[in-house]
Amino acid sequence: MTSVPLVSVFSADDSSKVTAKHIPLPAVFQTPIRPDIVSFVHTNIAKNRRQAHAVNPQAGMQHSAESWGTGRAVARIPRVSGSGTHRSGQAAFGNQCRKGRMSLPIKVWRRWHRRVNIKQKRHAAATAVAATGIVPLVLARGHRISQVPQIPLVVEDKIESYEKTTDALNFLKRFGAFEDVQKVVSTKVVRAGISKQRGKKYRVRKGPLVVYFNENAKLLKAFRNVPGVEVVNVTRLNLLQLAPGGQLGRFVIWTQSAFAHLDKLFGTYRYTSIIKDGYQLLRPLITNPDLARIINSNQVQEKVQPAKTTKVLHEVQKKNPLKNSKAMDRLNPYAKKQRAAAVAAIKANTKGTKKIKKNKALKKASRAAYNKVAASLNDATKAAVQEEQDIKVKYFSVQKGAAQTE
Amino acid sequence: MSQQVLWEVVKGNNAFLVKRNGLTLSTDPFNNTGVQTYSSTGFISKNAVGVVSTSGKVNQINNINLVTKKSTKFQQADRKAKNTQSVYASTLAVKHGVHTASRVIRKRFGTSRVGLQRAALRKLVKLNRANAVRRRNELAAAKAQKK
Repeated sequence: MTSVPLVSVFSADDSSKVTAKHIPLPAVFQTPIRPDIVSFVHTNIAKNRRQAHAVNPQAGMQHSAESWGTGRAVARIPRVSGSGTHRSGQAAFGNQCRKGRMSLPIKVWRRWHRRVNIKQKRHAAATAVAATGIVPLVLARGHRISQVPQIPLVVEDKIESYEKTTDALNFLKRFGAFEDVQKVVSTKVVRAGISKQRGKKYRVRKGPLVVYFNENAKLLKAFRNVPGVEVVNVTRLNLLQLAPGGQLGRFVIWTQSAFAHLDKLFGTYRYTSIIKDGYQLLRPLITNPDLARIINSNQVQEKVQPAKTTKVLHEVQKKNPLKNSKAMDRLNPYAKKQRAAAVAAIKANTKGTKKIKKNKALKKASRAAYNKVAASLNDATKAAVQEEQDIKVKYFSVQKGAAQTE
Repeated sequence: MSQQVLWEVVKGNNAFLVKRNGLTLSTDPFNNTGVQTYSSTGFISKNAVGVVSTSGKVNQINNINLVTKKSTKFQQADRKAKNTQSVYASTLAVKHGVHTASRVIRKRFGTSRVGLQRAALRKLVKLNRANAVRRRNELAAAKAQKK
């Protein structure tokens, strides 16, 4: 980027007033975002606050148990000696046994802490700081920043002299940070598990992080009772606070001097850091990570071959042209006209003939004629049957009404 | 910040991610489909419009807000603007009818990102219809009360 992004410093009393209009962004905020480094460093550094614990070394072993050996129809596990109690003869010592010692009992000399290379730690911190200046990342971490006037939020040094919590609260309200505090308050939950009994009754979310510079600042006391808010000096920026849980994008409120100190702390791309001796900010692998923009740029589009369109050689299912008129048209373009001509011809033939109107009189007449014919047919059939009967009676001496056996 | 880079950071875990029943969903206000995918996740892109339903007062015609993403190089809210402004979004209430809102959506996306445009419009239409039903019920209830 040739142009350096600029940041405004806000007045502590009035969030609409800007005391310094355009301050260049410290180079840390341009560091490439490296969630892999942050994740690695975080998992290791998070182990460093652990306190040694161990299992009682004698646990499960305070017996004079001996194995009964073979030949007694029992498993060969050591068994508790003595008699007169249920416990005698029961299995002991093994991790599989009830009341036995655990396998690989925890020792105090377990390696609790991890050391991480200084450079890695510094890169992680730099990335975490950069991420605090990127709105989508702060949103993704879950901070409520819809009312915050600017990210990164830089405020004049006046807040470093706040002593009262009310001042701190009002300041947060003015700058839209109170929504985040409210989130913390409303999501305070009783912790699940035994830690309740070990002094960690509640699980509290992280709210804004206030970063100051001057060591004499009193704001620590002002802010420390506000739930969720943490206060830290720039010189002691902690990855565990900048990226809690290894998740980038904490909502940070900087004081002006703290913000200005970042360039000395982390250095820039032009000169290495003064304080972190010889530390050079990580350089990005790709200067322009916007793939879409690169692909759509003139330089790339000029060289690129035109996009291949899928050529359909034939349809997936064969359609019968004799039945499917569209398929027929594809084979014989003239077929469409032929069909139209046929239709037109039919129409032409029927053009002169009037459409027969069915009128009631005609209907009646035709019905009468039909009935007449039907009736005459009926009579004829009856007559024929009768005639047959008569002939039978006359020539075959069959009695009237008698059934024919033949 | 490049959408690609942000996606790599955010896709595994973010405040809007909801994983349920084997589905990966998102409560991102800029996401109009509800499913978390690279293109539909609006809060990481430079250009996005979210159609959001708000709990409004009774008798309010529409409970829809359009949340448009601001693409500013240095992210500062414009305090002078009337609409509720924040660092990353401007909210416009959809008051009377859906036409202006749809125009805003169309202008935002233009000829590119047609899929996103359609998703936003689809949601707008659906919310609008739901609102119509709600309003009808409210008016009916009000009438019944008057009687």
